[in-house]
Amino acid sequence: MKTATPRRNTELRLGLLAVGITAFGYVLVQLPEKTDIPADLWFFVSIFIGLYVLAHLAIRQFVPYADPSLLPLAAFLNGIGFVTISRLDPDLARTQVGWMAAGVGAFVATLVVVRRVRTLERFRYSFLLLGLLALLLPLAPGIGKTINGARLWVGIGPMNFQPGEAAKVLLVIFFAAYLVDKRELLASGTRRLGRLVLPDPKHLAPLLLAWAVSILVMVQQKDLGSSLLFFAVFGAMLYAATERGAYLLTALVLFLGGAAIAHNLFSHVQDRVTTWLNPWDDAQGKGFQVVQSWFSFGTGGVSGTGLGRGNPQLIPNASTDFVFSAIGEELGLIGTVAVLAAILLFIGSGFRIALEADRPFPKLFAAGLTVIMGIQAFVIIGGVTRVIPLTGITLPFISYGGSSLVANFVVLALLLRISDDNARARAGGRRGRGVASPVAS
Amino acid sequence: MNRAIARVGTAIVALILVLVGMLTYLQVIHADSLANDPRNVRGALKDINRPRGPIVTADGVVVAESKPADDGTEFDFSRTYPEGPLFQQVVGYQSFVLGSVGVERTYNDELIGRDSELQLRGISDVFSGKEPVGTVVLSVRADLQRAAAEALGDQRGSVVAMDPTTGEILAMYSNPTYDPGPLAGHNTKEVNQYYRFVTALPDKPDLARAYRERYPPGSTFKVLTASVALETGVATPDRPFPVISSLDLPLTDAELRNFGGQSCGGTLAESFRRSCNTTFGQLGLDLGDAFVPGLLQFGVGDVPPIDIVPDAALSIGPRPNTFQDEQPQFALAGIGQGPVATTPLQMCLAAAAIANGGVIMEPRVVKEIRDAENGLVRRIAAREWKTAVSPATAQAVSAMMVSVVQSGTGTAAQIGGVTVAGKTGTAQTDAGSPHAWFVSFAPAEAPEIAVAVIVENGGNFGSEATGGQVAAPIAAAVIRAYLAG
Repeated sequence: MKTATPRRNTELRLGLLAVGITAFGYVLVQLPEKTDIPADLWFFVSIFIGLYVLAHLAIRQFVPYADPSLLPLAAFLNGIGFVTISRLDPDLARTQVGWMAAGVGAFVATLVVVRRVRTLERFRYSFLLLGLLALLLPLAPGIGKTINGARLWVGIGPMNFQPGEAAKVLLVIFFAAYLVDKRELLASGTRRLGRLVLPDPKHLAPLLLAWAVSILVMVQQKDLGSSLLFFAVFGAMLYAATERGAYLLTALVLFLGGAAIAHNLFSHVQDRVTTWLNPWDDAQGKGFQVVQSWFSFGTGGVSGTGLGRGNPQLIPNASTDFVFSAIGEELGLIGTVAVLAAILLFIGSGFRIALEADRPFPKLFAAGLTVIMGIQAFVIIGGVTRVIPLTGITLPFISYGGSSLVANFVVLALLLRISDDNARARAGGRRGRGVASPVAS
Repeated sequence: MNRAIARVGTAIVALILVLVGMLTYLQVIHADSLANDPRNVRGALKDINRPRGPIVTADGVVVAESKPADDGTEFDFSRTYPEGPLFQQVVGYQSFVLGSVGVERTYNDELIGRDSELQLRGISDVFSGKEPVGTVVLSVRADLQRAAAEALGDQRGSVVAMDPTTGEILAMYSNPTYDPGPLAGHNTKEVNQYYRFVTALPDKPDLARAYRERYPPGSTFKVLTASVALETGVATPDRPFPVISSLDLPLTDAELRNFGGQSCGGTLAESFRRSCNTTFGQLGLDLGDAFVPGLLQFGVGDVPPIDIVPDAALSIGPRPNTFQDEQPQFALAGIGQGPVATTPLQMCLAAAAIANGGVIMEPRVVKEIRDAENGLVRRIAAREWKTAVSPATAQAVSAMMVSVVQSGTGTAAQIGGVTVAGKTGTAQTDAGSPHAWFVSFAPAEAPEIAVAVIVENGGNFGSEATGGQVAAPIAAAVIRAYLAG
């Protein structure tokens, strides 16, 4: 039943390009120090190639008809991130290679386990429960850990991870399934309040509850970035499901109200806002990070100082929150715009997958996953460039951080699964069947 | 759902485009000013691992030098400051955490050899592997700097001494000060800790009082008032003034009293010698709006172009064209109070103007650049900054200043065999005891050194202090050291 065209060779070629860029960058990083090619180059490049080929083969095996651009784009972003991290801290880079392996492992596992996206729809409440549990886990005594002032971590032995990263994916599954189920009710509305038509509160209740709990936990854990991300993703999904601008407006009002309350209640929120507005007043203290980040971008200019030739290590947390500033200093505007272009293409593919889906759940689910990627990139890049107040959050595929990388690879796998389903459905549709076929062997 | 999803997608694309716009601003439009911002240490960092020449005083004392680093860090050199706190406010520091200030910053290119003349000379060195680093020779003399520090002792205050004919600063010291050494360290945390410690001290050792702090100059400002009055023809040295104990201030019930409530007056020259407030308050009123441009000729209202980063502070006087509404301010300005606030550097420049026939030279702390073999690369040329008054006016004011030291309020500055010209000041402050001031130059016939001294809040004498008693002996000590050297 060869009806959809698999474009796996395109994917392979694009991917090799991304791997090549990474290897080249890795050599450049080492050059200012020593003039010979780094001894561990082949080790890292072969691991990188190996992981890429593994992911590629998994796609050939499990989702052969999926979009060919997503994996190469992810590899490009991941490669740029790895090069930048290895430039900032070689030890961290070695750990990051381990996390990349874990990410690809999770990627393959997701493709193996999630054979049909519809299956996820059925277990929505289990995912809600799991998501909430994941959010609350860092608060549990004994295993919860506070790192950099935020209680987001769970430590088991020497391993630390952020279950919140998993919660994002889990809660988006729930939101998508729930909203698809209730969207007619939510969109129609049964009660009037002046000019506003409100849906029956009982349909909204579980939604608001999930939302409120996640926000509360975020504020409790001082993770403003994730809190902002959730608001945005949730609002966007509610709007997408109901196509009613009133929800968007409500989400906005709730967000502004929540922001105002958080600003009044928490000194760390006030600090963030003050630092955002006047970082130069305390350039050696609270404003230090953002001021240094601006200096990085300015010093980089259009073409950058060259890899390994700038001083991005002057920015605290350069390999996590401020990895984009490090790219800006050493690769210049060319580098930052290349990264943004890759992110745009990734998001574009994500939304196209959502638009092509013919069933509501995969459609909304794909849109939700894509919005996560887009908003997350905007929140952190906007933070380090001072477009918005800084909130610590990872830059997808680029920042150092295991939990985030693993979660991003799972998102990638899910998007590819939906894309593959779409292609099969289109092929099958011409034969009068709207249901995706199982994998052909 | 498709329409709404497309809209969400468009919104996210718009957000990303906002980021592209911001990046264009940061990396293209605003890039240069960010890259060159004094707080951006990346420029200094680029140079931190390059060989760097020493900074030496005019009398050959090394005050900054680089040594190979052996602390196991990524840095190849350690910058050391052998004289510690003594030269901090002139030499500054080179820090990879805080950037560079002082001579370390203004003469950075010469120190690392990024100077075209040094590079030409260094061409032969390229083959021998030596770096063409430059040696920066200060005009400041270590013996005078030490004399100034010793004379001030533990009193808060400043001493500025310069050659009035060239503008070369011979000594510039403020107490308290601090050792810049730890700021050049290689451990970010320790550097920041030390920086926070120093900047939090209540006595502000990080404040280079000599050129960065303004004080009311009190009666030393009468040098300027008298000069402007003579220059504009408002008075001659022989013009008589009433002998009174206080002057009514127009538009108010207040009055301006002489020191100790004494009756004081007579000719302008006599009033200058005895420092009569009533006479100089009257001159401020007589000058009116003409006072302001006259002061600007001395540099009050203009930043002296000294070769140190950060720049010198601006000295201020009465505001232009405000005499009609603020007449008392002009009377107070006549005696160096009220709206007047000057740096010790500015008061030294005023004394130097009188010493140099009315011409103020650009002040500078560096004399010349030498190469690694001590060959002269370049002398820093002397340049005129302003013409304060005519030679005749300078001559007249000089004569009055001589009488102050001979038989007036400044007898404590007398030195055997040398004619010293000077003017005392005891400046009222908003809080605490008055500041003791002295401005001077010597020898009066052919001046070689001009000195300004301030001792904050009267120093060891407190509320009993006068400029003649506390500040004049310090100036005399520096002049004596100069003549002995």
